[in-house]
Amino acid sequence: MTDFLSIESIVVALVLVTTLVAIGARRLRLPYTVSLVVMGLLIAIPTSLELEATPDLILAIFVPPLIFEAAFHLDLKQLRQNLVPILFLAVPGVLLTTTMVAGMTALGAGVAIGTAAVFGALIAATDPVAVVSLFRALGVPRKLALTVEGESLFNDGTAIVIFRIALAAVLTGTFDPLTGLTDFFRVSLGGIGVGLVLGWITAQLVARLHDRLIVTSLTTILAFGSYLVAEQLHVSGVLSVVAAGLLVGNVGMAGAGPSTKLMILNLWEYLAFLANSMVFLLIGLNTDLTLLWENADALAVAVVAVVGSRAIIVYGFSWLVRLWRKQGFFPPSWRHVLFWGGLRGAISLALALSLPVAMPGRSELQAMAFGVVLFTLLAQGTTIRILLERLGLTKRSPQWVARETKLGRLFATQAGLRRLAQLHREGLLPEEMWVGLKTGYDHDRQQIQQEMNELFREYSDLEGEMLFQARREALQAERGALWDARQRDLLSDPVYDELATEIDYRLEALDLIYSTTGERQLGEDKV
Amino acid sequence: MGPIVCATRGGEAGRRTQERAIALAKERGTELIFLCVFDPGFAGSLSSALSSAVTEEQQWLGRALMSVAQARAREQGVEAGVVVLSGVVLDIIEEFLCESGASTLVIGEAKIDSALSAFRHGTIQSCARHVEQNTSVEVVVVTPAE
Repeated sequence: MTDFLSIESIVVALVLVTTLVAIGARRLRLPYTVSLVVMGLLIAIPTSLELEATPDLILAIFVPPLIFEAAFHLDLKQLRQNLVPILFLAVPGVLLTTTMVAGMTALGAGVAIGTAAVFGALIAATDPVAVVSLFRALGVPRKLALTVEGESLFNDGTAIVIFRIALAAVLTGTFDPLTGLTDFFRVSLGGIGVGLVLGWITAQLVARLHDRLIVTSLTTILAFGSYLVAEQLHVSGVLSVVAAGLLVGNVGMAGAGPSTKLMILNLWEYLAFLANSMVFLLIGLNTDLTLLWENADALAVAVVAVVGSRAIIVYGFSWLVRLWRKQGFFPPSWRHVLFWGGLRGAISLALALSLPVAMPGRSELQAMAFGVVLFTLLAQGTTIRILLERLGLTKRSPQWVARETKLGRLFATQAGLRRLAQLHREGLLPEEMWVGLKTGYDHDRQQIQQEMNELFREYSDLEGEMLFQARREALQAERGALWDARQRDLLSDPVYDELATEIDYRLEALDLIYSTTGERQLGEDKV
Repeated sequence: MGPIVCATRGGEAGRRTQERAIALAKERGTELIFLCVFDPGFAGSLSSALSSAVTEEQQWLGRALMSVAQARAREQGVEAGVVVLSGVVLDIIEEFLCESGASTLVIGEAKIDSALSAFRHGTIQSCARHVEQNTSVEVVVVTPAE
């Protein structure tokens, strides 16, 4: 009982610290995650607080909610449109990063090549939580944020699989490339398979159960359960959570009612915030500055290797794309953000902590991993905002925000009205009450529309930009309708392919018309 | 008197430029034509399928934007025509002014440049002079202050 109370006290104290840091960071306009790390370092120096961030604690408790929440929110349609760059960065990108970092640290820091390969893998996964939250706050183009988020979601799984293969090779002293490759596919595809199966079962249950508390509980079970089941089956737990989150977020929620959706969104937003806060605070608390100092040379090499390999991957990929496509996947300015936004975080930390005691050069690797994570958070995390501003990707004028706010209100009002109409149709809302409520909603809607007209009159460019957004939304709806028609066998595959490709070109053209001017791509947000 | 041509593309200056042109057409009782010109220059470096999609999409957007302007004019009792063309903006405008026998061209200066601004900030006056010299058509520049 005393143990339980002391654990509870520590948890409450940590939540209190994260809350105070959140308040301070907001007031001082500092990056929240970076502030947490610094606070962790400050707390760790004068106190002898021993709060060990075990790999299980991070991987099984904190990582699933972070990954599930991110996957849950990712739009599959948008993901599909950006799948090529995301998958390149997340799969061959991670493999190349591992190889390059391993080579550079072996040569530069004198680490044995096998050990260097383990380090290369554990440090390969990007963890842009700090960057993504900044993206959301500053309103950078959705497609850019989606690429960064998508890459991070998938590369976590890839890096963990490679890490385990490399670690096994070092510990056993044998490495068979064919077995390694087979293991890679088995663990990756196995994890995705587990996630899809559990996600599908959950989606079916969500469609049949209408109790928001039960449905919300199901998502909680899915997020943590898919990780645990996959790990028990010796396949990738992280990829399992990614697949489960994507499936339930995109398919499972279609049948859920608005109040259920709201509850689930709120719960996962909070759980992700809490997990994120804890991870970054623990990074600070677990960083041994003395160990970092003792390994300063190796650390410097590791930082150069990680940052250098990121540059090679991002710019090299863009160059390769240009060889076979005249138009790159992104405007040039985005490449700089992808490069400098390649922060490292929770996954690298968890993998470094999970290194077995028998691992040669264990403490050196841990120092290098913590050092790189700290560097990317403190150097890259604090300057990415400046980069975004310099590149003109954060221009969110007051009138733009005003338009978005009014649009949001209009969305909410329409949704409210639709729900009332549904209740009325089902006979759950008496006629008189329906008329009264409808009048109120109609009045609100007209007022918002009037305000938007006035805003458009004053800032006419907003109107043009809205046209872009509306057009994109309409094209996506057209594509969705084609997909439905194909599923219902109303269209044959060749006709579907032809028509869908036509729309894809139109969507790409729409983006290009805007992006070639060097302005933010506005076609990404929904109207 | 020849028609008033309002060259607009839905940018920051679009609305006030259209309003001014509508007011002018009402005042003079002349025909009003909304002209939208997109420059597909950058599409040349793309694959042929994408390049053609860009051109078609520009035409589509142009028609939509001009239809909005047309509806706005109709609300104020002015019937307006709509033309969407593509090519080098200034050259096409001059060509169209000559072909249509226009009396006046109305263009707008943007407060800030946006992707949809047809005329870049600071260059509009020289464009206006250029058009007047080449076509002898009166050019009305709607400035942000108006």
